[in-house]
Amino acid sequence: MARIGVFVCHCGENIGATVDCARVAEACRKIPGVAHSVDYKYMCSDPGQTLIREAIAQNKLTGVVVAACSPRMHEPTFRRVCSESGLNPYLCEMANLREHCSWVHEKSDVTTDKAIDLVAMLVEKVKRNKPLHPIKVPVTKTALVLGGGISGIQAALDIANAGHKVILVERDPSIGGHMSQLSETFPTLDCSQCILTPRMVEVAQHPNITLYTYSELESLDGFIGNFKTRIRKKARSLDEKLCTGCGLCTTKCPNKKIPSEFNTGLGMRTAIYVPFPQAVPNKPVIDREHCTYYTKGRCRVCEKVCPTQAIRFDQEDQIVEHEVGAVVVATGFTVKETDFFPEYGYGKYKDVINGLQFERILSASGPTLGEVKRPSDGRVPETVVFIACAGSRDPAKGIEYCSKICCMYTAKHAMLYKHKVHHGQAYVFYMDIRAAGKMYDEFTRRAIEEDHVQYIRGRVSRIYERNGKLIVQGADTLLNAMPVEIEADLVVLATAGVANEGAEALAQKLHVSYDSHKFFVEAHPKLRPVETNTAGVFLAGACQSPKDIPESVGQASGTAAKVAALFSMDELTREPVVAVVNRTAPPLYSTCVGCFLCQSACPYQAIEREEIKNRNGQVVKTIAKVNPGLCQGCGTCVAFCRSKSIDLQGYTHEQVYAEVMELLS
Amino acid sequence: MEALQKSAREALENHKAKVIIGYSEGSGGRMRPIFVQSPAEAEKLTWNDRCTQNLAVYIAKPEVQKLGKPALVAPLPVLRAVLQLASENQIKEGDLLVLALSDGRVTELSQFSEMEEFVAKTPTHLASKDQEAIERLEKMTPQERWQYWQSELTRCFKCYACRAACPMCYCSRCTVECNQPQWIPVPAHPLGNWEWHLMRAMHLAGRCVSCGACGDACPLDIPIHLLTMKVEADIHREFGSQAGMKVQSEHALSSFKVQDKENFII
Ligand SMILES: Cc1cc2nc3c(=O)[nH]c(=O)nc-3n(C[C@H](O)[C@H](O)[C@H](O)COP(=O)(O)OP(=O)(O)OC[C@H]3O[C@@H](n4cnc5c(N)ncnc54)[C@H](O)[C@@H]3O)c2cc1C
Ligand code: SF4
Ligand code: SF4
Ligand code: SF4
Repeated sequence: MARIGVFVCHCGENIGATVDCARVAEACRKIPGVAHSVDYKYMCSDPGQTLIREAIAQNKLTGVVVAACSPRMHEPTFRRVCSESGLNPYLCEMANLREHCSWVHEKSDVTTDKAIDLVAMLVEKVKRNKPLHPIKVPVTKTALVLGGGISGIQAALDIANAGHKVILVERDPSIGGHMSQLSETFPTLDCSQCILTPRMVEVAQHPNITLYTYSELESLDGFIGNFKTRIRKKARSLDEKLCTGCGLCTTKCPNKKIPSEFNTGLGMRTAIYVPFPQAVPNKPVIDREHCTYYTKGRCRVCEKVCPTQAIRFDQEDQIVEHEVGAVVVATGFTVKETDFFPEYGYGKYKDVINGLQFERILSASGPTLGEVKRPSDGRVPETVVFIACAGSRDPAKGIEYCSKICCMYTAKHAMLYKHKVHHGQAYVFYMDIRAAGKMYDEFTRRAIEEDHVQYIRGRVSRIYERNGKLIVQGADTLLNAMPVEIEADLVVLATAGVANEGAEALAQKLHVSYDSHKFFVEAHPKLRPVETNTAGVFLAGACQSPKDIPESVGQASGTAAKVAALFSMDELTREPVVAVVNRTAPPLYSTCVGCFLCQSACPYQAIEREEIKNRNGQVVKTIAKVNPGLCQGCGTCVAFCRSKSIDLQGYTHEQVYAEVMELLS
Repeated sequence: MEALQKSAREALENHKAKVIIGYSEGSGGRMRPIFVQSPAEAEKLTWNDRCTQNLAVYIAKPEVQKLGKPALVAPLPVLRAVLQLASENQIKEGDLLVLALSDGRVTELSQFSEMEEFVAKTPTHLASKDQEAIERLEKMTPQERWQYWQSELTRCFKCYACRAACPMCYCSRCTVECNQPQWIPVPAHPLGNWEWHLMRAMHLAGRCVSCGACGDACPLDIPIHLLTMKVEADIHREFGSQAGMKVQSEHALSSFKVQDKENFII
């Protein structure tokens, strides 16, 4: 026979002022199976907890219902009290009299009646509760970091320095990401490469980091603490162990006219190439799309000149497998190209470029060696127009959000231009100047006040060419939308930051959600910014939304802290609220008929197939099996199974049915 | 008919199958299933438009499985049931042979891919009397429709003949047999009957192959097949998927696609 204890909390005035708690306690005392029922001002206080402890001991309670606030608030508290008193914590439940009753109703008898109903439902449930035990899963203390931009680099270093193994996977031939392409960085104007490359080298040399460049994620299976990953190492056409990075091959390759991705098409590279001199690793790859040997079947010059015979034309992609406990997604972002803008010439004007291209022009290692020369004819531009919010904050273009970094880098661009071309004129068209951040507003003011950059508030409606000049037509909204026309030599569009191509496919491989712009979605916008909804998969940097370097690095370190916390445990403890497929005596073994419709219904890929074998080892039945490490207890499968063969522990059919029937009775 | 008997005889003689599951003449003008195990018996096989049972219901039965690999005489709905059962992991490639019937011709099919091709070429529209009945129901006001089903379903005495005739009702324990809790009350009273039939319609949503065997099996002539057929037609229209057209692991109601319509959510 059940002996349930009911503990009604006033929550000070929160419940007590609206619900007649004494009446609730009294009514509950009459429910069959209730052995003890009291009310108290603050159940969660020390004396309140003592009340529960003593009642469990004195009345030999078999279950506890605390009628108080939301279980989100205090369920752990009261379950701990029960557990300390020798009662299995899962025999304790909370009826939410605050959020579900007193906060949403007026003081009245009906409100108290409802409170009694809420408690009575829980009493019926607890009568049917079974002791449950937390699920323990082992943790593989290796992290997979996807993306070797500054975010991935920071996360990898922090995790590795915490003493854990890291596998860093970068899609491109070198790590570094967008930061390696930048000239100088706001708000301090330190040289991007100078602060980045030491970190890149640290990654390469760290004993805890295994680096796979020119590689991509093939698949990720498993669950928090226990992922299995397959990584595709794309064929570099090179034996990396033999290559010394001497670079002879790249100087001798006859195929020299391939637009360099690193230089955003403003410079050229060879078919066998290292993207930039400070690349990590400093080992070339052969671009098979352009290499004359792969396209026409002859050449092999690099093979001939290589002093260590490292070239491997017949190399194939390789799949490597690793077991990891956590995944950090740091695959970054990209920016729109100029061809996205019909009003700015659809990319047909050579001297209309995007911000990333201007970074390359400003960069000392760039195609112009840091001299500001325009792409069309190499002349130094006398007048440069910068257009902020190119694409961003423009619902008509499908990008309603603010790309966040453009105001700052546009100010930086204009400033750096003025530093290099003292007599030049810089104009910035902007909608608002968004420079919130430490030293950020000071930075944009410096551009305006000290470097005399002309800021014009308004949008540019059209750009066209006239006598070798770019005519920029806009309006100055601070002067009653007065039309403005500027004859420019160069136009730099601060194009919107957008998700990487392939972000959607990657998200699906990782089972993480993405928003309508294909940026990955955090578990909670405020309180869980680096977690995803898939346990064990974390986010860092611009793959979540456009971010600047300080923010990316901060987030990466935050993620690393989460991973380190996860790896500080040998085993993970999880709530046992998971689905279970029933088992019965042979010859049925289970009422599950193995239709596996639940398998496609489960949003967490938690359902596997289990073969039941007889004594001779023959498979007699294949049924569904829930992996408790993956199951999130959502109950979708339970609702789906026609034969009611899956049940959710802690919320069984029997329990929920009893609750509903109590309400109807 | 002769073509069918010839194919069946050959299948047995060449050991392609151990038993032919087909139709033969029963009593009172009704057709009955027959399990032909010797070539000589093949002459009892027949085929006409009174053959309304869905023979796919037999393949998973242990008694039938004991007879060895079956060849199934299969008009379109039987073939679709086979493909749907395969989608639901109830049969495996090579478990059975199908003698598919269409326009008086018999085609022997052993691979699922062959069956998929065959089904894809055959029109799947409902019989006109069922189509008309559904249209009549659609034209009713909700109150009229409620009245109609109330009067039909009240008659049901829960013999479960419809469930036994349905090839997709293969669960070893049906929800009606769950008693902890007892979801569906045992006695045949109006509310319990509603619960039973609504549950069955929901359980067949996206899975019903529209054979009509349940309605034919009902001793009280309750047109119970209209419920499942209507749901099936709606799913076909809204989600573009049709049960038993191919072997697939994604089912209309158990999978989510971003482009799925959500206009029915109010
Ligand atoms: C024009 C411009 C100027 C800027 N100037 C500044 C500045 O002055 N100061 C500042 O603070 N910030 C600046 N930023 C912002 C800065 O670039 C970003 O904050 C930073 O690059 C974000 O780092 P990340 O590692 O998150 O992403 P990224 O730098 O985009 O790095 C992502 C990495 O992941 C790799 N990757 C992508 N997909 C995959 C995959 N599927 N598998 C494996 N690897 C993958 C990519 O190849 C890349 O190496 C500027 C940005 C732009 C566009
Ligand atoms: S839905 Fe039910 S019967 Fe089908 S496989 Fe899953 S548990 Fe088994
Ligand atoms: S409860 Fe949810 S997460 Fe768990 S197995 Fe069922 S559908 Fe999957
Ligand atoms: S066959 Fe007819 S009477 Fe029997 S359960 Fe089905 S609908 Fe009811």
